[in-house]
Amino acid sequence: MLDNEPRGRILPTLISLIVVGVLLMTFDVRVQGQGVVGVMRTGTQTLVAPLQKAAAVVVNPVADMVRSLTNVASLQEENRVLRAQIAEQQAALIGVQDDLARLEFLEQLYDLETAGDELGRTVALVIGRPGAFDSALIINKGTADGVAVGQPVVDTNGYVVGTVKDVTGGSATIVPITGDRQAVTVIVGEQIGTLVSQVASSEMRLEVLDAREPILAGDRVLTSAVSASFPAGLPIGEVIGDSAPGIDTLTTFVSPFVNPDILRLVVVLAWPPDPVSITADDRVIPVDTSTTTTVASSSTTAEEG
Amino acid sequence: MRLPKPLVIAIVLVVAVVLQTTLFAQIRIITPDLVLLVVIMMSLTRVRPELVLLTGFMAGLLVDLLGSSILGLRAVVFTIVAYMGLRTRQRAEIGRLAAAIWAGVLSLIGVFLLVVIGTLFGQTSLLGPDVFRTVWVVALANLVLAGLFAPTFVRLVDGDPAALRFS
Repeated sequence: MLDNEPRGRILPTLISLIVVGVLLMTFDVRVQGQGVVGVMRTGTQTLVAPLQKAAAVVVNPVADMVRSLTNVASLQEENRVLRAQIAEQQAALIGVQDDLARLEFLEQLYDLETAGDELGRTVALVIGRPGAFDSALIINKGTADGVAVGQPVVDTNGYVVGTVKDVTGGSATIVPITGDRQAVTVIVGEQIGTLVSQVASSEMRLEVLDAREPILAGDRVLTSAVSASFPAGLPIGEVIGDSAPGIDTLTTFVSPFVNPDILRLVVVLAWPPDPVSITADDRVIPVDTSTTTTVASSSTTAEEG
Repeated sequence: MRLPKPLVIAIVLVVAVVLQTTLFAQIRIITPDLVLLVVIMMSLTRVRPELVLLTGFMAGLLVDLLGSSILGLRAVVFTIVAYMGLRTRQRAEIGRLAAAIWAGVLSLIGVFLLVVIGTLFGQTSLLGPDVFRTVWVVALANLVLAGLFAPTFVRLVDGDPAALRFS
């Protein structure tokens, strides 16, 4: 099957390169993508990002055209559904505007001020994906736009997408929760659990330790206040199967609301909103410090599980 | 004016990486592994075998650096595939269809190795929901692209209009 002609130093070269590659893999696992590896990634992404941005300008219309051609049969029906949705949304918008006006009136009446806890948001365009076997997304916003490593990312509906893994001046790499080994601390009803991705499946596994009551199909899964990676209350998905507690644990499966493969726009949340002031506040109130530290450390353990 | 061969290879690789991460990232029904295909087709050229292996390693490393998976994974896989390409290149020189099938089979081996070695190093994210479909789609897409563009690619890299002309 193989050609047997001598090929000089080809075999030693192959072995040397494989050894170097395995050493790189081992080193990357040991440093967990930080240090030299992180610098190399950031440097390469900084160099390639402008090319990707330029290519995205040309490629996106082509991709849209191909996608339209493949979906041409369903476009008419989709348009009809979208028109109906627009009508519904406009009606809902009028209702929300009424509510906002009433809220404003009540705030003035009771002399209330806003808490100032509105998160900063950076809307970014998905300009690429590393490959068929890599679920990461490359976006066109980076440190110059306020994006930082570890920040949570949601879609335009506010559903959780993932977190920022690497960032350069003008681009960032997002790892979706469905492709991340790190678990997310979530809340379902009043029970706190961890959500982990699964091999060869778009569904995620929900584990609730100290479960007290059953979880039913259709229950919404939200990020928990004890999560170290996400602000509380962001919708992630819904439970797809009823499950009752065993001795004290419960396991079920969750279908995420977001499919990262079809995302075109994402929103990066500036969270925590102001880490410096949070640290300062912690120093002023010692009781809160211990509470916060305990919660943060326990959630970190859970999310790294 | 003829460009130096290393520069041609570098340009082709960068174009492949950019197209892979932008165009084919958006069109999910056609999912070739363009960088892997370039490495495979490199073994058909008159470039020195050691340089072909090094190109495979560097191309894989570049994709690793741009992605979220472990550094060195694709570098190792692409190097192995380049070696297999060098050792079996005579099968591809029979004709266009043979070249396409040869590239398709090597691509299948490459993505299979990627999944297996990646899983051994804990990269469970490689095993996405459609992993089995993706493995076949990548191999088939590379097969078609190799059938269409392998001779042109070889002529471009070698700078020889007579290179890889099937009888």
